[in-house]
Amino acid sequence: MAPRRPDYTFTHEHLLGIEGLHPLDIAHILDLADSYAEKTRGGIRPDPVLTGKTVVNLFFENSTRTMSSFEIAARRLGADVVSMPVANSSVKKGETLIDTAMTLNAMKPDALVVRHSASGGAKLLSRKVDCAVINAGDGTHEHPTQALLDLLTIRRVKGRIEGLKVVICGDIAHSRVARSTTMALHLMGARVHLCGPRTLIPPGTDTWGAESAGTDFDAVLKGADVVMMLRLQLERMNGSFLPSRREYFRYFGLTAERLALAKPNATVMHPGPMNRGVEIESKIADGPSSVITQQVEMGVAVREAVLHLLAGGKS
Amino acid sequence: MSLQIVNARLLDPSTDLDAPGAILIEEGRIKDIREGAEATFTGVKTTLDAGGLCLAPGLIDMRVKTGEPGDEQKETLETASRAALSGGITSFVVMPDTRPVIDDVALVQFIAERARETSKARIYPAGGLTVGLTGEAMAELGLMADAGAILFTNGDIPIANAQVMKRAMAYAASRGAIVMSRPDERALTGSGVMNAGAFAARAGLSGIPADAEWIGAMRDVTLAEQTGCTLILDQVSTARTLEIATAARKRGAKVYTTAAAHSLFFNERDVGDYLTYCKVNPPFRDETTRQGLIAALKAGEIDAVVSAHDPQPPEEKRLPFGEAAFGAAGLETVLSALLNLHHDGPLTLLEAIAPVTLGPATILGLPQGRLAKDAPADMILFNPGKPWLCEREDLLSRSTNSPFDGRRLQGRVMQTFVGGERVFKR
Repeated sequence: MAPRRPDYTFTHEHLLGIEGLHPLDIAHILDLADSYAEKTRGGIRPDPVLTGKTVVNLFFENSTRTMSSFEIAARRLGADVVSMPVANSSVKKGETLIDTAMTLNAMKPDALVVRHSASGGAKLLSRKVDCAVINAGDGTHEHPTQALLDLLTIRRVKGRIEGLKVVICGDIAHSRVARSTTMALHLMGARVHLCGPRTLIPPGTDTWGAESAGTDFDAVLKGADVVMMLRLQLERMNGSFLPSRREYFRYFGLTAERLALAKPNATVMHPGPMNRGVEIESKIADGPSSVITQQVEMGVAVREAVLHLLAGGKS
Repeated sequence: MSLQIVNARLLDPSTDLDAPGAILIEEGRIKDIREGAEATFTGVKTTLDAGGLCLAPGLIDMRVKTGEPGDEQKETLETASRAALSGGITSFVVMPDTRPVIDDVALVQFIAERARETSKARIYPAGGLTVGLTGEAMAELGLMADAGAILFTNGDIPIANAQVMKRAMAYAASRGAIVMSRPDERALTGSGVMNAGAFAARAGLSGIPADAEWIGAMRDVTLAEQTGCTLILDQVSTARTLEIATAARKRGAKVYTTAAAHSLFFNERDVGDYLTYCKVNPPFRDETTRQGLIAALKAGEIDAVVSAHDPQPPEEKRLPFGEAAFGAAGLETVLSALLNLHHDGPLTLLEAIAPVTLGPATILGLPQGRLAKDAPADMILFNPGKPWLCEREDLLSRSTNSPFDGRRLQGRVMQTFVGGERVFKR
């Protein structure tokens, strides 16, 4: 996979977040991921660039989807994969993140894919190990591979990212997806608008690159090319952040009527898993505008690209 | 047994003295002070030439935590004392939130005795305001005060119930006891781990908003006014909190304020990439707020600066930011942090040392903290401009969780005296 600019090389040791990446890095990852997506669609087995490499999935939070996606990506490239859902192992018995990391590090893996409930968890790990660390979600901080797969999906559907109006709606405050995806879209020239209940909009979203952060979903939908709905955690709906599920759906749920306010060919996305009837109507989630299953497909392609670049596949 | 220190730059905030001179010490007390570069006393057994170094009262630190009793692996009274003396602190108040909590007479006596046996610094126990610091039942404030508890506090977690707080303050006032309270509306602080705002939001960390401190302060100064209790607002982190205190003071309330030395030095950006040594409560605020705090210190609105020394071992700090313990080791960096505000800030040398000498001495009614005839000869000789690199490994505290680790600082204590006896020399 030749880079777009001959003088460009991917130099990162880890993928801890979108923050710190250059637009050229993102374009390079997306191009490589795109080629993997095409191979998979064409039934072509990719080159086993990670043969002899060991990838460890270290998930301190349960996430079957993301862990499987990384596992499939690594196996497709020929790596040996060990998946450790540590949520129910020795870590619960008082072993710290660092102790676990040191133990695994001694086994000389080539890449550690880590998900942790604490913001900065992946960063902390990366200071203590010798191999590449890929952040698969740290607390409410970042989830870079999700952002990259969102961008790849958008690029394939829309043919470009630059200049698009993207609306991200939901629990912005607690969403690592919102942070990473907003930053990545902004870096690639999209105009990002955030929307959600006032209690779930954090300060300083302009520093992520968002053009606005408001509470009027209908107004911001006007002219939107892409509408991305975020999952609303059930514990936020019990009256502490917003009154009720039905009130949330009334103002922030994506319905057919509401989607009609966006551009006619607007694309609907969701990082999953969805709460049907809370943030999105089933008719929309399963309808022609939705690219939600494509996002999952692109997830594997993006993770193939990231593992390829970081786990030692230097082609 | 007499000692004179000559050729010193005498610094005493209580008399606004900043002049060359000599000082005579007899039987642990300051016997006489003479100004003048050539000043000496005759018939003195021992003479020490200060070589032009600053001679100031020993520092008084109103807020120190150790791990004794219960968590001696963090810090003991003895290790804290050694760290304190090397930082120029000759007197300090230890917080009651140990295991067990210092909430009865026997424990107050235990601390006082252990301090006498093991430590060369003067250590004053603070008593728990409520039994077990649970915020429910008033502790034996009168008996503890009689046994030597210098003030009463509920520690890091203030009493949530305003009625309990009001009664404790009313009772304390009737015994002439001082109450120190961390202004903090816990419901707003919640699970926050750093200053609330754009920086925290971007890092995905939950924030501690300043309004939690304002609301806490408004409650506590109101109760101080109502009960006549002497109140110390502990570790104020914003200028607006000081306004609340000043307004109450104008109405006649006996309210004092303190600030942590590290919050005058660092801002929220120092948290950087989740540096847990910078995890403290109150948190490092934004730069505008820090500048506001410095301006307030210059204006005399902060009565005392404290180290807020809170030793935490590596296992409490080598964790993801949200899970790490709050607290910073601070005994050895208070003076440098304040001198930074002299070198790079608006304070004169006297203004820089007043909040750690005269300020706390006045609040607590202690005779030390000044260069005055008959005052205890608790003093430091320091070089205000001496540069040094603060490295964790060199700190004397048993826990070295210092946010100053790796920082270049200016100003160093060279010798420390308690009761006329030299207890530290660098």
